[in-house]
Amino acid sequence: MSAGASVAALEALEADLLLEGVARHWGFDLRSHSRPQLLRRLRRHLREERLESFSALQARVLHDGEALEGLLRALSSTPPGLFSDAAFFRDFRTRVVPVLRTWPSVRVWHAGCGTGEDTYALAILLHEEGLWSRCRLYASDASEGLLADARTGVLPLPGEDDARRHAESGGRGSLSDSYTRDGNWALLHPRLRDGIFFTQHNLTIDGSFNEFHVIVCRDTLLSFNRALHNRVHSRLYESLARFGFLCLGRKESVARTPHVAAYEELEGSGRMFRRVS
Amino acid sequence: MSVGLLVVGAPRSAGADVETLLSQLPAQLPAPVVIVLHRGPHDVLAAPLARRCALPVVEPDDKEDLVPGRVYLAPWGYHLLVDRGCVALSVESPEHGCRPAIDALFESAADSYGAAAAGLLFSGHDDGQEGLSFLRGRGGRVAVVMGESDGGEGQEGEVERLSLSEVGGWLTRLAYVPRGRVQP
Repeated sequence: MSAGASVAALEALEADLLLEGVARHWGFDLRSHSRPQLLRRLRRHLREERLESFSALQARVLHDGEALEGLLRALSSTPPGLFSDAAFFRDFRTRVVPVLRTWPSVRVWHAGCGTGEDTYALAILLHEEGLWSRCRLYASDASEGLLADARTGVLPLPGEDDARRHAESGGRGSLSDSYTRDGNWALLHPRLRDGIFFTQHNLTIDGSFNEFHVIVCRDTLLSFNRALHNRVHSRLYESLARFGFLCLGRKESVARTPHVAAYEELEGSGRMFRRVS
Repeated sequence: MSVGLLVVGAPRSAGADVETLLSQLPAQLPAPVVIVLHRGPHDVLAAPLARRCALPVVEPDDKEDLVPGRVYLAPWGYHLLVDRGCVALSVESPEHGCRPAIDALFESAADSYGAAAAGLLFSGHDDGQEGLSFLRGRGGRVAVVMGESDGGEGQEGEVERLSLSEVGGWLTRLAYVPRGRVQP
């Protein structure tokens, strides 16, 4: 075996042992995550923690719950600001909101909310469209640490870019109406923050917990491998009411999942699907 | 050992060179080609790059299969990683200010394909150098394509340096000749 291959084999073994340990001790099963992405994030986490090897990280993570939270945080991705994908929110306003208006009550699930930026944006949008009083917005993530951040309703003060993207998304009025400023921070208006139900839910192991009219799950499933990605899609399908909407990331699709036949893509939208059967 | 994957990284300034490279790819290439070309949100690249290329050029969705004889171009806003025969897009933070980043692709190619991956880096940007040496360390065959202003060819350290006109020959050797270099 060449030197490069034996280094790779040893590293792969250490990574397997780390993931096995985290799964058995903490119940977080990362073994079905997309392998190359996981390895990259683990390597970066090692550098930041100044550790030599995955074995050293394993020792730390098994004995220290905070180290585990640090690891889960390192493996997560949250968009950097409000309305980070303006096109999605614009399409949501023009394609989904008109249908929601015709329904007496709407349950929305944001799966994989991270620290909540997109959840807040969704709440602001629903409020601006006059739907907030009949919406229940559930936001879930596997990591309690990220959820704790999300629950605060505090985020870095939105800048000009955020305001511009809000306007591009079809925002009515000023973005600053939705928060109060506190120095360099913004506190989401309590009428929005208190109407969001943040809940710990691990897409990889937890079952469906309600039936929803809208499920927003954008770029969250990118970190799973194909088998897990398809399993989670089954869960999303079970959780979505007939004629409900599934909103995925710009480069995600139901095409390679078992439920492709059950959805119709809204033409010209950024990957919004409607469950038709 | 034949090549199972060709990864190509190029900064924005090398866009025309990438087009030239694509025009030299044989129509019966036995491996998928995956390209990261630095780009902004409004750059339209797939159609222009496909003009002179014998192979189909696509911007893949997440989890799409990697099929030999097709060219996969990283979409804007995502890192493009390869995961044993399929595409894995990622929204990790930008590297060297870039997303897609070349380092991300090369690192994943080293992890997934090891010595079966070949990497070609167009010079002119910091992004890609680390990934290229990582891939080389895992046994992948790599080379740097120098711009006209970068001067000489030959070896820089251990990494092979090519001019644009030599890339065609390099690709041919890649496809048909067994590996010559012995690992230390």
